[in-house]
Amino acid sequence: MSSTAWIILAVLACVAAWVVVTYNALVQKRNRIANAFGQIDVQLKRRYDLIPNLVEVARRYLAHEAQTLQAVASARGAAVDAAAAARARPADAAAVQGLAAAERVLGGSMGRLMAVVESYPELKADATMQSLAEELTSTENRIGFARQAYNDEVLAFNDAATQFPGNAVAGWFGMRPAAMLESTQGPQERQAPRVAF
Amino acid sequence: MRFFERQDEARRETLRLVLLFAAAVAATVAGVHLALAACWLALSLLSPLALPFPRFFFTVNVGVTLLLILGGWWLEAASLRLPGAAQRLARRLGAREARPAVSADEQRLANIVDEICIAARMPRPEVMLMPRHQAINAFAAGWDVHDAVVAVTQGALEQLTREELQGLVAHECSHLHEGDTRLNMQLAGMVSGLELVWDFGATVRERGGVALLFGGAIMGMGAAGWYAGRLLQAAVSRQRELLADARAVQWTRSRDGLGGVLRKALTQRNEAQERPADPPLPGLVQHLLLLGPPAGKDGRLDAHPPLALRIERIYGRPMPPLPLPRPPAPVFHWA
Repeated sequence: MSSTAWIILAVLACVAAWVVVTYNALVQKRNRIANAFGQIDVQLKRRYDLIPNLVEVARRYLAHEAQTLQAVASARGAAVDAAAAARARPADAAAVQGLAAAERVLGGSMGRLMAVVESYPELKADATMQSLAEELTSTENRIGFARQAYNDEVLAFNDAATQFPGNAVAGWFGMRPAAMLESTQGPQERQAPRVAF
Repeated sequence: MRFFERQDEARRETLRLVLLFAAAVAATVAGVHLALAACWLALSLLSPLALPFPRFFFTVNVGVTLLLILGGWWLEAASLRLPGAAQRLARRLGAREARPAVSADEQRLANIVDEICIAARMPRPEVMLMPRHQAINAFAAGWDVHDAVVAVTQGALEQLTREELQGLVAHECSHLHEGDTRLNMQLAGMVSGLELVWDFGATVRERGGVALLFGGAIMGMGAAGWYAGRLLQAAVSRQRELLADARAVQWTRSRDGLGGVLRKALTQRNEAQERPADPPLPGLVQHLLLLGPPAGKDGRLDAHPPLALRIERIYGRPMPPLPLPRPPAPVFHWA
């Protein structure tokens, strides 16, 4: 072969190597997004597991507030169902919307329960209640941080997939920029983590 | 605070300093050789006989100096690479494991570490408490993120709000996430290697006679290298503190968290005279702490930037100190 052919071959090999490396980096970033989304799900489950314990402790003191407790329990049940639906069909926008709506209702009823707890000093002083309230505060923070980490991963992927020249590789393999989670900090959800003792 | 820009800035500065450090080591090696060669030339001028350079003059000079520096570095760094080394170090400083099931404060601390690790996407370090330290402080140690410790003083646990404790833990987790402990230990090892060159020169000098001249040359170069190494090590450490501050703001998305810690630390430093002193922490671990001792006259050897500068970097303007909460009335705990 002539030296020109060798040079062309070498250039082609370099381009191929670059495509492979870029593609793998993009796939790695995309997998990290999936993993970050799983982390949010783990923390939501933690919240669902905590709430029945909290309701159980509160029930001992709040005989007259059965309605509030019932609202929390049913909102939690609805949220668990919605989460299962969203997990089964993560690409379905309606299922994800349904989960967001159920979470909002749950947040609102938890906020009302915590407002009621405020007016029962013995319940506030209960050691188990304090411990559960700390766990709930922590869980709310974990959900927030997990969402933030998810968005940071999305940012890293989108940067890599839209900047030149990586965007060419992303285009060939049909990788689209991922969507960030929007803030769901409605007025009701803002109340939920306020479990100050 | 534009935390991503600040982080890039600190990383660039660290790289520059580490390269300078490597240059300082190379300059010490070259300096030792040149100083010895100059001594030899001086001798040959004075002596009536012709004194050519001995065989392997260059190889031996460079080889022995490198052996001293790299050997000292290896010895120093090897002890930290053993599994569980971070925990043993923490225990030596009086830390014990946090007991989240027993105390509400420690439950909160363990939860906060979990939260930050989610934000930082890193494995959780061992959470420890320094029960005999009443001043606000904390430290992180670990060769890598899988064998790491975050320890917080009792004073920090009692005097900081939940948000502030989050900022403090985030700062320490940044040191682990970025591998700062390892970098610091590597540099400290190199510095002690440079110190060995000075030591070696002193040993040579003890023989007297002509050795006084050669030993002195080695000592002089070793001392210069050692001082340069300490300066650069401290400068790197200060950059890593600023990087960790920016990281803490990024992860907690709050400047009042870590900002509050530093402003309370400012108050604590002003009131230091009125408080009983804590058990002292050895100089070896100064660069692992959240807060160093009060700045010396010459700040170039301090491992931490001045508190006021760190606060200004976080808020974008100087902020007044925050009052410390009064300590609660003592309660008897059954241990």
